[in-house]
Amino acid sequence: MEKRKVWQEGAAKNITFIVTKDCQLVCKYCYLVGKNIKERMPWEVARQAIDYILDDTEQFNERSVVFDFIGGEPFLEIDLIDRICDYIKCQLFARNHPWFDSYRFNFSTNGINYHDEKVQRFIKKNLRHLSIGITIDGTPAKHDLNRIYKSGKGSYNDVAKNIPLWLEQFPGGATKVTISSPDIPYIKESVLHLFALGITEVNINCVFEDVWREGDDTLFEEQLIGLADEIIEKRLYGTHGCSFFAEHIGKPLDRKLQNQNWCGAGMMLAVDAAGYFYPCTRFAQYSLRDKKARIIGNVREGIDPNKLRPFLALDRCTQSTDECIDCEVSSGCAWCQGENYDAACTPTIYQRSTAICRMHKARVRANNYYWNKLYRKLETEGGREGFKKTVVNVIC
Amino acid sequence: MLQYLIILLDDTSVSFCHYRNTNSNRRLIALDGLKAGILFAMKHNLMVQFVYPDYELPESYATVIESIDHHKIKPFSLKEDASVVVYDYREAVSDQTLNRNEKTTLVLRITKDELFSGYEEVIHFLKRSNRLSLVITDTDTFRKEDFDTYKKVLSHLESAIPEALKENDDMPQLNILSDRIQLEKMNNCNAGVENITLAPNGKFYVCPAFYIEDENDSAGNPAEGITISNRQLYTLAYAPVCRKCDAYHCKRCIWLNKKTTLEVNTPSHEQCVTAHLERNASRNLLNELHAKGFFPNKEIREITCLDPFEWKE
Repeated sequence: MEKRKVWQEGAAKNITFIVTKDCQLVCKYCYLVGKNIKERMPWEVARQAIDYILDDTEQFNERSVVFDFIGGEPFLEIDLIDRICDYIKCQLFARNHPWFDSYRFNFSTNGINYHDEKVQRFIKKNLRHLSIGITIDGTPAKHDLNRIYKSGKGSYNDVAKNIPLWLEQFPGGATKVTISSPDIPYIKESVLHLFALGITEVNINCVFEDVWREGDDTLFEEQLIGLADEIIEKRLYGTHGCSFFAEHIGKPLDRKLQNQNWCGAGMMLAVDAAGYFYPCTRFAQYSLRDKKARIIGNVREGIDPNKLRPFLALDRCTQSTDECIDCEVSSGCAWCQGENYDAACTPTIYQRSTAICRMHKARVRANNYYWNKLYRKLETEGGREGFKKTVVNVIC
Repeated sequence: MLQYLIILLDDTSVSFCHYRNTNSNRRLIALDGLKAGILFAMKHNLMVQFVYPDYELPESYATVIESIDHHKIKPFSLKEDASVVVYDYREAVSDQTLNRNEKTTLVLRITKDELFSGYEEVIHFLKRSNRLSLVITDTDTFRKEDFDTYKKVLSHLESAIPEALKENDDMPQLNILSDRIQLEKMNNCNAGVENITLAPNGKFYVCPAFYIEDENDSAGNPAEGITISNRQLYTLAYAPVCRKCDAYHCKRCIWLNKKTTLEVNTPSHEQCVTAHLERNASRNLLNELHAKGFFPNKEIREITCLDPFEWKE
């Protein structure tokens, strides 16, 4: 299945409002270590942030904009969000701003109050400019392993009941699944379960934190190979997508020609309840275990461009060890700049965390298996034309 | 490769660089600490640079200091037998004893306001010195209008060098103008890579500024060696903005980097632009010197961009 195109990918500025640091859930793998009920964004901070951004068309000169709303759980602040979105729309119109009619509002939600009347009213009002992803992790067993209420109760049932409504409003909606060490045995059944729920695109990734145990990579590979077999045997490859399988991953990268940074931190902008700007939400204090927040400005004084320079100057090789630079399967090995910063032995964004290394290599092996098996099947069935494969030289 | 050991003899030792030392409480390095530093330098083939406070040291210290080849960096008030004398603007204006036969290097720490309003005094000072190292202590506060003014001031300073040449056989060196002409590659401060600082508390620091700013930010000691985490980030190869730059004379002050951008390997816009204004002024000076037959084989190419960050690969 061809991956769905991201709206205005590369041409849009991402601006994230951290509207609350509260959430109904306390997911075990959540990187937000500082969630709390106190830090809710005041309207005045949101308004100042919007005015600052819309005033400065020289700095914010992208063709389009995506306003992300995150938490915690963003829909806990639906009244504020509704007010923010109305203000943005009015201002874009009043200022004859280039982003008028070239904007989107984007949400990642736990889906618990998706059916709520106010949320539904907001969705209907903004549907044409809206993207919403509901996070559901897979089977009830897998989902409830991590995604639990403060009481300890699992949240699967409360989320799953809203999936049909969500898919009706957002046909082709994608979900995001997170894998930590205890989740590995559930990967195959979980992805298939999500497909069975009608979700055709499953974006799934291993956490970047150093949580992996001995043997996890082997188990992970087994799960992915089992999933590959199922997808191929059930002929889901033409209609469903699982981001673990991507043909471009697992190749060596050129030091000079393929030296780009992976992460978009610094290209985007996040603002929190106190009015501080961050290069991405992962640099706000509630996301960091061991480091100080990386503040790059505030809504009153604006962005300090010097604080952004290290992010925009980042490249792959400068932050990587020689082992990573010369790795034969390095393409597709992702990193999160915020996790790199948090895990680094000095307060720098220039030290790449390699906690995910063995998991990436396991993924590459399973991914190779998937494509080899799929292409062989298509070859023997004569349906290969629609698929391209990287050309490999024959040895003899 | 490590080449220099800077030893701060006292907490009130004079600043010879961008940082301000506002300490007024004396804390002299322990004699054993001083000896340990000297022993470390001897074992690692390091040239020692002692940085003095503004008071006379006990005789026992002088004896130990003289036990190794070294340079003395001293404040103006104690300038006798110094290799490097550090002035502030007021002292530079008042010192009428200088003459160009003295081979001492002079460091003039000056604010932008002092330089912009008093550049003629600086020229006068330059003409009486053999080598003058100008350190603008507040480059991080430069705004656009300051860059414009600095460009004009550089133009005045640039004219002074050929004038001084007329009056003497050799040319006075002014770091921000003449260094770039002579250099073939980057020659930055290289704190943490080519030099390390021993503080009065007996511990190593990346540079004196790191000690002054945060005593807890130490980097080893003479007994256990140097322990700088992520040390590669202090090298040019790991500085994406700097490694393709040709403002070879730029201090590339990693303390200022850290202060302004929060990363030791990334310079601020202000540091880049001031260095490039100096680079371009050096180019103008070189063209003038070419006409007088000096440096016939040297060339500095013309560039239009003042911040290499803007032409990142």
